[in-house]
Amino acid sequence: MGHITVGMSGGVDSAVAASILVEQGHDIEGLFMKNWEEDSEYCNAEEDYKDALQVCDTLDIPLRSVNFAKEYWDRVFQHFLDEYRSGRTPNPDILCNTEIKFKEFLNFAKDLGADKIATGHYAKIECRNSEYRLLKGKDKNKDQSYFLYMLSHNPLSRSEFPLGDLDKKDVRNIAKNAGLPTADKKDSTGICFVGEQNFKQFLERYLPANPGNIISLDHKKVGTHSGLMYYTIGQRKGLGIGGGHSDLSDPWYVVGKDMVKNNLIVCQGKDNPSLYYEKIIATQLHWISKFKPDNDKELAAKIRYRQKDQFCNIEMLNNNSAIISFQKPVFAAAPGQSIVFYNDDVCLGGGIIEPYVN
Amino acid sequence: MYYFDHSATTPVHSDVLDLMHSIQKDVYGNPSSVHSQGRKARSLIETARKQVAKAIGTIPNQIIFTSGGTEANNQVFWSLLNQNNIHVVSDTIEHPAVLKVLSEMEPHGIDYDLVTVNKNGRISIEDIESEIQENTGLISIMLANNEMGTIQPIKEIVALARENNILVHSDAVQCLGKMPLDVNDLGVDYLSLSAHKFYGPKGIGILYFKNKDSLSSLMIGGGQEIGLRAGTENIASIAGMGLAAELVTNQLDHHINELASFEAHFKSELKTIFPNAIFNGDANNKLPGLVCVSFPGYRSDILMAKLDRANFAVSSGSACGTGNVKPSRVLSEMGVNDETNISTLRFSFGASNTSEQVDLLLFELKTILTG
Repeated sequence: MGHITVGMSGGVDSAVAASILVEQGHDIEGLFMKNWEEDSEYCNAEEDYKDALQVCDTLDIPLRSVNFAKEYWDRVFQHFLDEYRSGRTPNPDILCNTEIKFKEFLNFAKDLGADKIATGHYAKIECRNSEYRLLKGKDKNKDQSYFLYMLSHNPLSRSEFPLGDLDKKDVRNIAKNAGLPTADKKDSTGICFVGEQNFKQFLERYLPANPGNIISLDHKKVGTHSGLMYYTIGQRKGLGIGGGHSDLSDPWYVVGKDMVKNNLIVCQGKDNPSLYYEKIIATQLHWISKFKPDNDKELAAKIRYRQKDQFCNIEMLNNNSAIISFQKPVFAAAPGQSIVFYNDDVCLGGGIIEPYVN
Repeated sequence: MYYFDHSATTPVHSDVLDLMHSIQKDVYGNPSSVHSQGRKARSLIETARKQVAKAIGTIPNQIIFTSGGTEANNQVFWSLLNQNNIHVVSDTIEHPAVLKVLSEMEPHGIDYDLVTVNKNGRISIEDIESEIQENTGLISIMLANNEMGTIQPIKEIVALARENNILVHSDAVQCLGKMPLDVNDLGVDYLSLSAHKFYGPKGIGILYFKNKDSLSSLMIGGGQEIGLRAGTENIASIAGMGLAAELVTNQLDHHINELASFEAHFKSELKTIFPNAIFNGDANNKLPGLVCVSFPGYRSDILMAKLDRANFAVSSGSACGTGNVKPSRVLSEMGVNDETNISTLRFSFGASNTSEQVDLLLFELKTILTG
């Protein structure tokens, strides 16, 4: 039986992933990865490492540690800043999977002598006729295939997701029964390096804020913003627009950004048609297997994590981009975010959302 | 487990363990109490003080017990705040228990300069001399380095300091049991030791001082340790350290010879297995049994993981809070480039090793490096 290196984050999911593989009799080692340099305010790496250490001690497996802070900074964080600088909404966790976890981490594990790596992702890998496919996890509320669509055949063939057939509550139960010290640890939320801190404060440290006006769709000034980078399409909270700007009492939503005039454009009411997109362009398309969609092929898609499948048709423009037409307009398709395609439970791949300009 | 990390810490000698166990069980009195239990505890502490004093060639009333080398260093430095001459000369390859203390003290008015080392990790007297200022009150130079074992010319430094009326502190935690250690011969004013480096327990150490008047207490309270370290004494650990110091100095020649022979054998065989191996440190001035070697083309964390898997404990660079290995600051200061730096492992032999174990280690390294 091969040797498997499990990515240990210090959380309950990776702990249970390791525990399952140990139960199955595999030769297991844990590997803790640090992607962000010491910064007590925003990052809990040291606490997480201690948790990972105790989990590995309980499972009686070794724990190694590796630092990819430089790689993360160069290949994930710089892109993240570039995107925010351009007024877009990037998803660094997707890039982190492609560039760090399923590349650097995988290679390091291989150097350590591992045949495969395993992580606590809620997704499944299936091999059919020597072709590896990515599937949604059984727990549809937790399914993380959205974050993994950029993987290709090679990393999938060398990875295992032991939690793919489990619900989150099963995972908690396994952790409790196995006496894992992180059984009750709170799930982490948000972008890993920001943690649960104030995102605005975090971004402020890296990008200059350029305050400007908030303009309604009928070109009236309804307020001021502290910098376009702090807002994303469809955002409702934190606009700070009081009453008196309209007869309607409906809440305001971000519908767009005018990067040239530095204006944030807003509308009122969640049903406002400006917030809904019939079409978008998907660029930087990546298909996991040999699958290439035919024009007008009907697919299911998600334009954000945990969204219900949206049905759409795809019209390829070239090898890398396509027009996506939704059967029912989708709410707030934010440029820079990913659209991920599915055929039932099979994750086919995805691309980056760009506005469709007629 | 094959343990080759004695510079990090040592296993406790079995006689020391037995003594500590019996004390924890039977001697629960407060050494400040005058009843029989208290007197017994006091007696154990003073026996230990004599043992440690003898081990470093001094008299008992020039030693106080601390929680270890770090605390002893801190006490010397923080005491400077009550002195007139508050400039310190130290060097760039000191342990963080010196360097971080100095930088932490800077806002409190302490001023310091650090001399650099040569490619073997040696400090030059001339460099120290050129950093001496009118208000220099202390020179603090480690007796031997923990990462590659280079021994510093402390006697010459002391001679220079005397001419300038400067006190000298030396962090000697790596040294007891690996070289003759005589504070009067060295001439230092302060010396720090830690029991867990010489087969004693963790959490206990000493500060040697020539003159108590220059010291202040970091711990204020019941006035223990002649008012220099308040708090009820850690009797079992103190007694354990006393015995450990006695055992290691009684066996000193034997231990040094054994370490030197492990080292010589290991180096020559390793050179055959891996001719590109680079041995860091000063071959003519080093602690025996501590081998700092770079394996160009390899990563120390991978090598360490593979050795760990085969149950061999060695170390590498300086591990931080998340277990990552970073390039060693000490090696960087010696001019070792980053790539060679992160290919470096430290093997530190000790009393728990046998020559068969050293051969097993060589065999495992051969498998890893040539397999």
